[in-house]
Amino acid sequence: MAQFKLPANSRVKPGKDHGGAKDAPNKREFQVYRYDPATGENPSVDQYSIDMDECGPMVLDALITIKNEIDPTLSFRRSCREGICGSCAMNIDGTNTLACLKPVEEVKGPVRIYPLPHMPVVRDLVPDLTNFYAQYASVKPWLEAKTPPPPDRERLQSKEDQEKINDPSACILCACCSTSCPSYWWNSDRYLGPAALLQAYRWIVDSRDESTGDRLDALEDPFRLYRCHTILNCTKACPKDLNPGKAIAEIKKMMTDRQH
Amino acid sequence: MSLVSPLNKVLGLGSAKGGSEHWWVQRLTAVALIPLGLWFIFALAGLQDFAYSTVVAWFSRPLTSIFMILLVLTVSYHSYLGVQVVVEDYVHGKVIKTVTLVLTTFAHIFVGCAGVYAILRVGFGA
Repeated sequence: MAQFKLPANSRVKPGKDHGGAKDAPNKREFQVYRYDPATGENPSVDQYSIDMDECGPMVLDALITIKNEIDPTLSFRRSCREGICGSCAMNIDGTNTLACLKPVEEVKGPVRIYPLPHMPVVRDLVPDLTNFYAQYASVKPWLEAKTPPPPDRERLQSKEDQEKINDPSACILCACCSTSCPSYWWNSDRYLGPAALLQAYRWIVDSRDESTGDRLDALEDPFRLYRCHTILNCTKACPKDLNPGKAIAEIKKMMTDRQH
Repeated sequence: MSLVSPLNKVLGLGSAKGGSEHWWVQRLTAVALIPLGLWFIFALAGLQDFAYSTVVAWFSRPLTSIFMILLVLTVSYHSYLGVQVVVEDYVHGKVIKTVTLVLTTFAHIFVGCAGVYAILRVGFGA
C-alpha cells in the first residue's frame, strides 16, 4: 500500500550548527541535508552561516564556501558552474534546480538544501542516478537509419526539421524534472520519467531517424509512457526552460495518430 | 546488491504493447460526460417540482431513459478507468494490487448494472 511515513532509517533529524560567519552584517543561514552511510546514523540537517559579502551570488558558491572554509566533509556534485553540465541538481528551497543557476537572493529566510527527492542517497547531496541513466539508455538515444549516409557528406536536415530537435537536444540530463514528478516517485521502476521521455521524443521527431515506429512501439505501455498524468512539475522544474510535459503529450498524440 | 544490470531492470518484461486505447477511451468518456452532465443538471433543474410523481413521469420519457442509461454507463466506465490508474499508481504489492483491481472492476460493473436496472424499472413503470 501507499507509504505515508518515511522508512525509519530515512527520517531526518536536527543536526549540528557548524557556525561560520555568525556576526557578518550580510550573513545568510544555510540548512543542508547531511547523510553518511558509513556512520549508520539517520540523515540530519546541519546549519551554516555565510557572509554573502565574501561569497559569490549563487547557491553553488555558498556550498563551495562551506566546503572550503567551514566543513570539508560536505559532499555534492559540481563541475561547470554555469548550467551546462547538470551535476549540481538538487532541491533548493523546496524546488529542484541547479545550484549554480539559483541565486541565494531569490530564497527568503534560511536556504534549505536537500538532495533530489525520492532517489537513493549516496552521501549528503549526492543522489544515486543509476536507474535514471539506465532509463535514458533504454530509449536508444542514438540515430538509427537503414539508408546509408551520402558517401561524401553528413546526413542533411532542413532548417525546420532541425528546429524540432533544438529544444529537446538542449537537455543536460540533470534529473530535476524526473525527480520532481510524483508519478516518477511512486513508479520509477516502470515509468521512464520526463527526462527519458523527452529524449525519446528527441529521436522520434528527428527527421533523419528511421526507427520512429519501433521507438513508439517500445513506449506503447501503461507504465513506460502512460504513468504521465500531466502533472507538469517537470516543465516547471526544468532549469533549462525545456518542456518535457509537451514532448510527452506529443508522443501520446502520435500514439493515437497511428491508430485512427 | 543485485547482479542484474540497471538497463536489464529498466527493460523488465518489455513493452506491454498497449495503453493508448485506455488513454483514448478515458478522454473520450470525459468528453462525452460534458454534454451528458450538463443535460442532467439542467433537465433536473427544469422540472416544475421534485414530487415523486413528477420525477417518475420525467424518467418514463424514452429520451430521458436513454440519456440516463448513457450517463450511468459513461460515468461507470470513466470511473472504472480512473480508479484502475489510481490503483496501479499507489498499490504496489502484487497480490493486493491484483485483488484490488478485481474488486474495483466488479464494483464498477455492479454499479453500472444497478443503475441501468433502476432506470429501466422506473422507465417501464414496473
